[in-house]
Amino acid sequence: MSAPALTAAGVRDRSRPRSWRPAAGHVFVSGYVVLLVAFGIVPTVYALNLAFTDAGGRFAGVANFVRTAQDYRFLAAVGHVATYLVLWLVTLTVLVLVLALLVHRLTATWSRAVLRFVYYVPGALAGASSVLLWLFMLDPSVSPVDGIVRTLWGSTFVAVVAPGHLPWIFTIIAFWTGAGGWIVVMYGALNSIPHEVIEAARVDGAGPVRTALRVQLPMLRKWIVYMLILSLAAGTQLFVEPQLISQASFGVVGTDYSLNQLAYLYAFDQNDFNGSAAIAIDLLIVALCAAGLFVARGGLFDAD
Amino acid sequence: MRTDRAARAVLKALIAALLTGFALFFVLPMVWLVLAATKTPAGLIQDAPLSPGSLAALLDNWRNLMSFQDGAVATWMGNSVLYAALSVLLTLLVSVPAGYALALMSFRGRRLLLVVTLVVMLMPATALVLPIFLEFSYMGLVNTTASVVLPMSFFPFGVYLTYIYFSTSVPAELLDSARLDGCGEAATFARVALPLAKPVVALVGFFSFVQNWNNFFLPYVMLPSSGNYPMQVGLTQMLAATPTFNPVVGANAEVQPPELVLATLLSITPVLLVFLFSQRFLVAGLTAGATKG
Amino acid sequence: MRRCSHASRRRAAPAITAAAVLLALTACAPPSPAGTAKTDAGTPAAASPYGFAPAPQKDGKLVVWVDSTRLDAAKAYQAAHPDKQLDIVTYDGNANGSNSLKTKVQLFNRAGEGWPDVVFTTDNNTASWASQGDDAFVAPLNKGLIDQGTLSGFAKGALDVCTVDGAVYCLRNDLAQVVLWYNKKLLDKFGYEVPRTWEEYQALGEKVAAEHPGHIIGTAGDAWAPEIYMWGAQCPANQVTAAKAITVKATDPACVRAAQLIDKLVAGKTMSLLPLFGPDFAKNLGDKVLMLPGPAWYGGAVFQGALKTPKGELAVGDALHWADQNPPVTGNVGGGAWWVSRHSARLDAAKDFVTWVTTSDEYQVEKSPGYPAHSPAAAKWIARQQESGYYAGDIAAPITAAAAQVWPGWGSPEFSQEAVWAKTVIPGQTAGKTVESLLPEWQTAIEQQAQVFGYQVAK
Repeated sequence: MSAPALTAAGVRDRSRPRSWRPAAGHVFVSGYVVLLVAFGIVPTVYALNLAFTDAGGRFAGVANFVRTAQDYRFLAAVGHVATYLVLWLVTLTVLVLVLALLVHRLTATWSRAVLRFVYYVPGALAGASSVLLWLFMLDPSVSPVDGIVRTLWGSTFVAVVAPGHLPWIFTIIAFWTGAGGWIVVMYGALNSIPHEVIEAARVDGAGPVRTALRVQLPMLRKWIVYMLILSLAAGTQLFVEPQLISQASFGVVGTDYSLNQLAYLYAFDQNDFNGSAAIAIDLLIVALCAAGLFVARGGLFDAD
Repeated sequence: MRTDRAARAVLKALIAALLTGFALFFVLPMVWLVLAATKTPAGLIQDAPLSPGSLAALLDNWRNLMSFQDGAVATWMGNSVLYAALSVLLTLLVSVPAGYALALMSFRGRRLLLVVTLVVMLMPATALVLPIFLEFSYMGLVNTTASVVLPMSFFPFGVYLTYIYFSTSVPAELLDSARLDGCGEAATFARVALPLAKPVVALVGFFSFVQNWNNFFLPYVMLPSSGNYPMQVGLTQMLAATPTFNPVVGANAEVQPPELVLATLLSITPVLLVFLFSQRFLVAGLTAGATKG
Repeated sequence: MRRCSHASRRRAAPAITAAAVLLALTACAPPSPAGTAKTDAGTPAAASPYGFAPAPQKDGKLVVWVDSTRLDAAKAYQAAHPDKQLDIVTYDGNANGSNSLKTKVQLFNRAGEGWPDVVFTTDNNTASWASQGDDAFVAPLNKGLIDQGTLSGFAKGALDVCTVDGAVYCLRNDLAQVVLWYNKKLLDKFGYEVPRTWEEYQALGEKVAAEHPGHIIGTAGDAWAPEIYMWGAQCPANQVTAAKAITVKATDPACVRAAQLIDKLVAGKTMSLLPLFGPDFAKNLGDKVLMLPGPAWYGGAVFQGALKTPKGELAVGDALHWADQNPPVTGNVGGGAWWVSRHSARLDAAKDFVTWVTTSDEYQVEKSPGYPAHSPAAAKWIARQQESGYYAGDIAAPITAAAAQVWPGWGSPEFSQEAVWAKTVIPGQTAGKTVESLLPEWQTAIEQQAQVFGYQVAK
């Protein structure tokens, strides 16, 4: 179990003891590597092991994957997550970048500070109270935005959380809680673009839109890729939002809406940690494929 | 010329409307939440959603909240502060040097470390809970502060933030010149890179604080004793003691919805304070002091 | 510069040491998944006086898990027994299908340690998952641990939800038998009789629809609707026949009859589809409730708590039954229970605790918010409720009678029937379908859920 850890720490050259001297870089990453091994690699290897064995610890091949994929809830959950992912990634990327660029262009310092704060505030909220909050927001009879809720979705709470509306509702909740943090990150990244570069573009006669598209966005490339990867991971691992709405709707929205919820049910409701690990590995593979694509296109690993 | 100016004004108005619209979207539910804490349970349902309640109701809610399980809320807040502060400290100690090294130093295994970190970040947390719990159980550390603080200090997100920051914003030449000036790696890091890294240190510290503060599942699994719960786990308990969500608790339920809201507001105050405090650094010109042409 | 590099190495040294230690630990750490190893070291089951192999007994604090509401029970026990050492932990009581107990017990099973000694739960699904298999968590109580005298003091059928294959695994804290709650003041004003059968109830619904539109006589918007209407109708949709076998006949005439009742009343708008505890209900229907068939705890939670019905208006009628049911039966919604861990090293203390909290007057009569499951306590508790003067008329007779009428044919499987109903039937009803037309879907959903949990399903 310690083998990957050693490699990760860069100790793989031990076979040639004379030539190996820890570079300064190894010392710098050592503390992190310890935590990575203990709380990242070992658990991941453990989960991989679970996914390919049965309850008695014997090798099971892909039996866990087949069994979970045949579960009547599996395909439905795949559909839910896919729909949500498309909505979520597109809205998040477009809106976060647009808002960050616009706020960055504002001239008054106070308005920038206030907007950043206001956009961020919901990010502080988590857990129990968001359940109550969304129960009230989405219930047309007590919602402060009842007009909008009624016209968009229906006149009672149970009608509002009808299956067809859920991807939109989850996107809104996830955007509401998560976008502010990314706007702050992107804003900071925009600030780090040297003034001279923007100035040069302006002198060349580029308008604000062209500056954004040709200069600013390319310079944010790594940040955007990073946001996409993390949002993709968060999207495939959709859990909090449906769990929240399930609690707020008293179970009308089931607890098996997303794949990650299904993995959770397998582990802690059905006592089937092997099946649970198999679903987790499914998710990991999808996320890795997409992330690999983003990394390759975005040059995330290049040391500039 | 005139049409150009008119178009510009329209555009400006549109941008203002867009920014204000989103500000409303983000802030309206929060305003509702703040107002809800000042209402009586009946008022929360009967009154207009965006009307204020009364000071008396607020005080009443506060008193009830503080008497919940003999003052458990104060204990939970204290625990949250302890866990979050310790792990932010540890996170910064390990992730800033790591991100720096990954971005600006070359060493064997660098790329591998980046890939492994990414893979682990993409791994669904549901699958990691059991093994982490077993590790601590094996070491006999379940229900200790360490069982919460150590896993929370593992913050790959922060390592990537520093990595991207250093690799996009700090030119390698700057460090090379420091090395040429005769300083070793440690001194280069401490004297040249760290002062430049203030914004990203603030960013990592802030995000790790928020994540730790809001972390529910880890302490929920690791801490079987209610005296050690942080606020987030405590809030879920309060939710289960609210008649709206658990009808069986009966007429003399200990927690009414406005009290739950008040507890929430209490629980997010530290996050907002930390945000306001670190905002200064978060957005300070990230390139201050970089090499000039 | 030399100094610089030296310093860096010194600072890094502890980190490297820590790395090595952790690596060593994690490398030899793969813990065995068999969590029961430690307890198997105890007495073999056959020789045990309790019907299971107890762990070696030790002194120490008794670890008790309670929900917020039952914190009073643990505190009352501590007050009455100042010499006993308790470690009281509050958790969510496994409420709302949170599965928190199950989650934690499964982690403890894997780790082979950490279980609490005594646990309170508010759900009825614990016996079926916690008593079976190699990783069984709860101890059988009727094989020697708890005195027969104590067990026989519980109301008839009260321990059904605790029983799997003849072994009783919990002591019931409170009962939640369905009775008929009605607003006497309103009923007298309208000049109606209290219905005794579901047929009369349905007829009354049609009358109310015509004469006093806007008023309601029931709700079906909550997950526990099947436990009120289907359970009471002896609908065989949930017959647990063995530890892992279930018979599901959701389209049986008994179910169809109950479904038609709901559909007719919903069509006439005398049965509401709003969730009882949602903000909408209290706001729009708070003063329009003529009657509600519902469990014993409705009196406190719904009428006193959510709807704020004034004193002297609320009364209780006998549980409704279908005219051809002989003897009459009723349903049940919830009711908590106390469990003892079979891994406990303090079984005597645990036994004393669960016996006291379920039977003693100090808790069950003085402080319990629900109808006690232990009959002698129940009689005193209901007398106290009566004395409070909140209710109009005699509530003791109908509630006590209903306690013994709960139909035993509705089982407590490992999965939540409420969750299945909430997910399949309620959205369908909201979309305008009738319950009758949704019965086949309900059937399929129960079957699928049962199969997921490894049940043999018979139709």
